[in-house]
Amino acid sequence: MSQSSHGDKALRYISEEPFYQPVGNELGIFMAAWGRRLPVMLKGPTGCGKTRFLEHMAWRLKRPLITVACHEDLTSSDLVGRFLIEGDETVWQDGPLTRAVREGAICYLDEVVEARTDTTVVIHPLTDHRRHLPIDKLGTEITAHPDFLLVISYNPGYQTVLKDLKPSTKQRFVGMNFTYPPAELEAQIVMRESGLDADRSGKLVQASAKARNLKDQGLQEVTSTRALVYAGTLMAAGLAPLEAIEAAIISPQTDDPELAAALMEIFTTFFGA
Amino acid sequence: MSAATEEILEHLEAVSFVAGRDARAALPAVESLGEAATLRYLETGRDLFFYDREAGKGFFHATAELVRVFSGLDPWLDQARVFLTQRGTFRAAVGYFEQAAQVREQYGVAGEKIWYEEGADWIARHVDSAAAYFRMPIARLFGAYGAEELRTLLAPARELAKGRLGLASYLEGAVKVRAICGLDGVEDWAMRGRDILAAGRIRGEAWYKLESDEARAFLLEVLPGFRIGPHKRLFALLLQAWTGLHLPFEDGDWSVEGGRSFLETDGRSLFVPAVMPDREEAILAFYHTGAHLAFGSYDDEAIHALFREIGMEHPPLDADQRITWRPLFAQFGTDLLRFQLVFDILEDLRVDIAMEREMPGYLPRLMRAAEQRAVPPGVAGAYWREAMQLTHLAMVGQLPADLVSLASAEAGILDAFRLALARYAHTKLPSITLAERAAAFLPGHSPNAARPIYPRKHGQTDAVEMDAGGQLGAAGHKEKPREAPQQAEGNDPDMEIPPEDIQGTGGRVGVGIPMPAKVHGSGRGVQGPKGGWSYKEWDYRQEKYKDNWARVHERKLRERDEARAVEIAAEYDGTMRRLKKALQAQKPTRMAPLRRQKEGEEPDIDAAVQFVVERRAGQSPKANIYRQRRPMQRDTAVLLLADLSTSIMAEAADTGLRVVDRLRAAMLLFGEALVEVGDPFALYGFASKYHQEVLLYPIKRFDERFDAHARAALGGLSGRLATRMGAAIRHSTRQLLRSPGQRRLLLILSDGRPADYDDGGDPRYLQEDTRMAVREALEQGVHAFCISLDPRGGDYLPLVFGQGHYLVLPQMDQLPQGLPEIYLRLRGHG
Repeated sequence: MSQSSHGDKALRYISEEPFYQPVGNELGIFMAAWGRRLPVMLKGPTGCGKTRFLEHMAWRLKRPLITVACHEDLTSSDLVGRFLIEGDETVWQDGPLTRAVREGAICYLDEVVEARTDTTVVIHPLTDHRRHLPIDKLGTEITAHPDFLLVISYNPGYQTVLKDLKPSTKQRFVGMNFTYPPAELEAQIVMRESGLDADRSGKLVQASAKARNLKDQGLQEVTSTRALVYAGTLMAAGLAPLEAIEAAIISPQTDDPELAAALMEIFTTFFGA
Repeated sequence: MSAATEEILEHLEAVSFVAGRDARAALPAVESLGEAATLRYLETGRDLFFYDREAGKGFFHATAELVRVFSGLDPWLDQARVFLTQRGTFRAAVGYFEQAAQVREQYGVAGEKIWYEEGADWIARHVDSAAAYFRMPIARLFGAYGAEELRTLLAPARELAKGRLGLASYLEGAVKVRAICGLDGVEDWAMRGRDILAAGRIRGEAWYKLESDEARAFLLEVLPGFRIGPHKRLFALLLQAWTGLHLPFEDGDWSVEGGRSFLETDGRSLFVPAVMPDREEAILAFYHTGAHLAFGSYDDEAIHALFREIGMEHPPLDADQRITWRPLFAQFGTDLLRFQLVFDILEDLRVDIAMEREMPGYLPRLMRAAEQRAVPPGVAGAYWREAMQLTHLAMVGQLPADLVSLASAEAGILDAFRLALARYAHTKLPSITLAERAAAFLPGHSPNAARPIYPRKHGQTDAVEMDAGGQLGAAGHKEKPREAPQQAEGNDPDMEIPPEDIQGTGGRVGVGIPMPAKVHGSGRGVQGPKGGWSYKEWDYRQEKYKDNWARVHERKLRERDEARAVEIAAEYDGTMRRLKKALQAQKPTRMAPLRRQKEGEEPDIDAAVQFVVERRAGQSPKANIYRQRRPMQRDTAVLLLADLSTSIMAEAADTGLRVVDRLRAAMLLFGEALVEVGDPFALYGFASKYHQEVLLYPIKRFDERFDAHARAALGGLSGRLATRMGAAIRHSTRQLLRSPGQRRLLLILSDGRPADYDDGGDPRYLQEDTRMAVREALEQGVHAFCISLDPRGGDYLPLVFGQGHYLVLPQMDQLPQGLPEIYLRLRGHG
């Protein structure tokens, strides 16, 4: 049996500055948490910039970022690591969390509520003063690298009603709330990201502000900044505005014909028939 | 004056002082026609007066006008003698004398003759019918048509009279149908009604008065234009998106005036016409009316300011506490409509400009819609052109100097009123009649003071809350008879609350339950039944729990209605099929295997490899290397807890349907869907009466089958008592914890706030307790999610259940199909 660390691939450093437009003091809060290596929880609806923010912070802190997109079948061994057979011997392979703990990366568990509940068990000792990761299968416990930081994100929408994090888990994190940025900033973001002109970016944002009033009307998520950027990108690429909106915003958002008609009517008001 | 004339006058005076006085007062108009004519006139007057006092009075009063318009006594004097031929004709006579001059003026000699003959014909046949005919305002009776068409309109009525249908019933409907579908439509409508009348008099009458569903269905069938009914949700969504308002919809009038249908509001509901000319006009109407509501046309303060402006301290209220507009326009007397229109144009302009700020392109859109229509003929056209002209100037930013202030964001209805007064003083707009007015409004616009108003609080984004739980019944509007709440069992009485406890003005609980204004202690002295489970209750005022405060009893539902369950199943057959099909299509996902099981039908390759590897690495892993496929393997268990309080018996405002009807269907569909899905589930209902008697009605427990028994119980579901939600949640949580399934969902179905008879009228008390109960459930791993039909749920549900843990369905029609869908989404498909 060998215990060589199997993860040979280099950790991912972010070399170019990812564009992030601060809305409030999220940079300050994150830096303060980083300073004391307190775990961070990013809350907010789909497509409002959580992941982008973290990429930006990783770039700023010059730390590698390991992102794990959590899903229903993600177990703790997917995070911590497992034995593999290689030739005649069994080899231990670190999971992404273990790598981050060892090497001092930022580990980002995206949509953590999607993962199986046993994953929270391995997270707990990492989030308090111990900063330990127990690896049952190796019978060891490793102490986190001084630069290791755990970040989780989740979307407190209806999908998580059944999967919500336990209050005791949540309380171990510094919570940061993300929402869609104010109109002016959002328009700038759309412009910058999609290359669309200021006029149409502004209209996209204005229309989405109205569309977001429909939040309680269906189970759907409201129009996200990301969807606006997609729509803007399609428009900038030469698609007719309403086609772009239909494709990037309305169609992905709802299957309900009345709701779709209402959304279309709102966007049509801004982009003409 | 001849002796014969004098003799008649004296005779009249001798019989009645009034008769003598009226006759002498009327005489000067007649005397110039000569001695013979005067005598003839007086004889008829005398005969009428002796025959019927009211008819005689009407005769003398109308004389001057009649002589002037007819230039003499013919033919009206002879016509008037028809009222002498039958008993009890005075009402018809009064109507005749009041309107004959007007008919002669507007429809000429021939027209008047036809009008008279049609009515006189009915005097012999049915006096009350003749009265209804002569008393109907001629503007309504003739509509936009001439006298010949009046004959056509009335033709079917003679035939119907044989079926003992009076003209009163027929005319009301006929003029409406004519306005909506024209004269040909009337004939068709009358023909169809004949068979219905033959089948039953009451049914027939309802048809002709347009009061029955079949009559409404007929009209909907023949009505041209855009039907709003199927698109209510779209309009509700649009209104909410643009203005943040979610008001209940109610059925408006078929056609308000001259066949044009308007969207109206009373500040609390929207009155939606069945059809509008097209989709664009309907959308504009919703936007425009939304703009009135959002920009303060009906704000309490603004309306007070209006009345102060005319020197009234407080606006007059009607019996329903609504503000009535009339006094505001009283000073204009008969020219009231002209001022109202001037005022409407300016106020419409103000809110339209405000809307343009929110919705760029709104004014051009309004202009486009107006340009596509022909300018209405006659005087209405002048107002139409004025409104278009001003809208255009507002659009290009060139309002006349006196109106520039309307475009400011601070402008209110008071500014519009003042400007209207100023403009009215020198306006050249012509006088207008009520019949002509309807055509004067631009598309989507309507008379702003059409209905008495429930004043709105400034900045209010929702309708005024008058009584929680009652909003679905929309108190204040025409109340339909309600099904009395049934008693669940002999010993959970609804109406047996001691009388001294039900005095008061509360009424917050459910609908129709009088609620104590004061509760002595907290329901002190009420002895609930023994047994049951006791639960703590959170008292936010003390910030502590009251131990063993609420007592929950499980009861069986006694009413069963298998037939109704079958009926509902048939009604929703299509929905059920679609749902089942969708579920079956998902089955491969649903049957997704349980991994890493100790036993199972097939090996789990990943697990097996890991097992081998770990064994070789010198460990002793568990041999969980199988996969299982079982229908019951889903790890979600759900308990549906339905609020069965009295308020579910209330009728929803816009449909006349009751919540309970939709609730039965929703729970049936939910049950069927869950059987298909295979998740363990239970169905419970709850109600309460004081803290010691919280009743849970198991309809299907986790370990029971969803069988005919459970379906029959759902079919017979009815409302009773109040809503002590916290205790019900605690007890349901207990049931859920004993259920199979790792994820536990408590799905709560409600139509209003938690409330009970002993909550002292403090809505916060039970709300806070419910919040705590939800929290306790979560601590135990039970997730609560609330689906509410309360349009104002957004005010308190986030506080109680938390963001994202509730859903408001403002249209209860969505419930039956929505409930299973919402569950499936919560649970996650794949």
